[in-house]
Amino acid sequence: MERGKTAKFLLLGPAVVITLAASLYPMFFALATSFRDWRLARSLVPQDFIGLANYTRAFQDERFLNSLVVTLQYVLISVTMSIVLGLFMALLLQQQTWLNTFVKTVMILPFAVSPALRGFTWKFMLNPQYGAFDKIVDTVLPFMADIQWLANPVWALIMLAITEVWGWSPLVALMFIGGLDTINPEVTEAAALDGANEWQIFWRVTLPLLSPIILLVTLLRIIFSLKIFDQIVTMTGGGPGDATQALNYFVYLNGFRFFDLGYASALGYILLLLMFIAAFFYVRSLIGEE
Amino acid sequence: MSKNLTKRILSGLRIVGILFIFYFVTFPIFWMLLTAFKNNRDAYSTKLIFQPTLNNFTLLFDGNPYNFAPLITNSIIISLSTVIIGVPLAVMAAFAFSRYKFRGKNLLLIFVLSAQFLPATVVLLPYFIQFRNFGLLDTRIGLIIMHLTISIPFAIWLVKGFIDALPLEIEQAALVDGCTEFQTLRYVTMPLIMPGVVVATVFTFVGSWNEFLFAFIMTTSDNARPMMVGLLALNEIDGIPWEKLSAAGLIIMIPMFILALSIRRYFVSGLTMGAVK
Repeated sequence: MERGKTAKFLLLGPAVVITLAASLYPMFFALATSFRDWRLARSLVPQDFIGLANYTRAFQDERFLNSLVVTLQYVLISVTMSIVLGLFMALLLQQQTWLNTFVKTVMILPFAVSPALRGFTWKFMLNPQYGAFDKIVDTVLPFMADIQWLANPVWALIMLAITEVWGWSPLVALMFIGGLDTINPEVTEAAALDGANEWQIFWRVTLPLLSPIILLVTLLRIIFSLKIFDQIVTMTGGGPGDATQALNYFVYLNGFRFFDLGYASALGYILLLLMFIAAFFYVRSLIGEE
Repeated sequence: MSKNLTKRILSGLRIVGILFIFYFVTFPIFWMLLTAFKNNRDAYSTKLIFQPTLNNFTLLFDGNPYNFAPLITNSIIISLSTVIIGVPLAVMAAFAFSRYKFRGKNLLLIFVLSAQFLPATVVLLPYFIQFRNFGLLDTRIGLIIMHLTISIPFAIWLVKGFIDALPLEIEQAALVDGCTEFQTLRYVTMPLIMPGVVVATVFTFVGSWNEFLFAFIMTTSDNARPMMVGLLALNEIDGIPWEKLSAAGLIIMIPMFILALSIRRYFVSGLTMGAVK
């Protein structure tokens, strides 16, 4: 059926303009700027075209290489923890009981806490003098009593990841429960009749059936973890030293602290490429589902 | 006999596990709630029993060292405007994407999707420079524009999923009966996709309310600064006053909890744009 052309343009127009302004324009602008020398402190307009110099500079810049390593470590820690914990929660909460329904309702709350505030909350709880989390650890695990969570490079990165795991793993669990609900109970019953124990059923039946959704959620988590920024500002400030200076924060430092726009754009583009690799697989497995 | 015992132990462990989840999820929120009502001295202890006070909330508004009132106004104006402008535009676009065939549609949809995967720092660079030239830095309008750029692509995708799920015949019947395109959307499609519109509204509002990076970089004064960034301004010489920060945190969190719980049935599918139901 042929529908009105005017209506089509009126319906589509404004939102498409904003969408293109949100994706095409920044992508194009950042790419063009990444080939130029442009320090805002010296000039309000872009300076010389310098080809790939900003990119080659990045790969000789130890602070950039550090931020790349930090980002990858962070993604690995954060994604693994939230998927494993999410799976654990999903298996525990799968049955329909009043307690489970209640806990499942509460589980969406951490995600509604803004990431910046999550960073503050955990920073408070991790304080070695008066933090509640620190006190609990001191009591339950006395051998860990001396750890200065945010002053130790390794723990600072892990705790940064914990803030995100706290927000995401309950949600990941809810997604997995959705996946578990679609598994036909007859399949697991048949496995049980054939003599498989619960452990075998989990590894050989449930997990393989759940794997498409695990893949999807993992990719989604990778995309979001690569963007880590807010909690770095409110919790660690990139420190101690530059132990938690992830790539997105490093882009921010160069772009909006040192006003080195050319270099920041090149760095941003490297981050963007990482995200698009993950996004590509995400979209592909989305389409594969249909 | 022994099988019965293992079963009991297992269900006992299950309860312990569930309680562990409950505490892990709620403890940080509970602790902030508690701290918000503690006085300065109690906040720096792990006391569970103390004399509660509302002092921290009044201190947030007495302007010493900082007044939160204009920040609350900014947050409300920015988030509401983003919803009022963004959601209708997104619904219209979602309808067009779902119901019309046109050249370049798939390419446009890729841009809609990819807008959500761009790092915010990359999006911000060109706007920071443009806004500097046009004097839009440190204004509410500037922040509303930025928030529209993140919320509209997401909302289009979300609402499109709901419209795609509707059978075409209903709208065709309305068109045959003489409705215009807009009437069809308004009186036939809209009521049917209302859950989707509500979910998009909530996510847009929460997203704008909780947004930090853009606000952090673009605001330098109370002209436009929303509450999220105001938290940083609470910093005092001798460190962060946690009891005041918790009070401010509560003011930020509680409305978001109510919104999130109001759409809890759609929360997961909404967030993953229907990828995970």
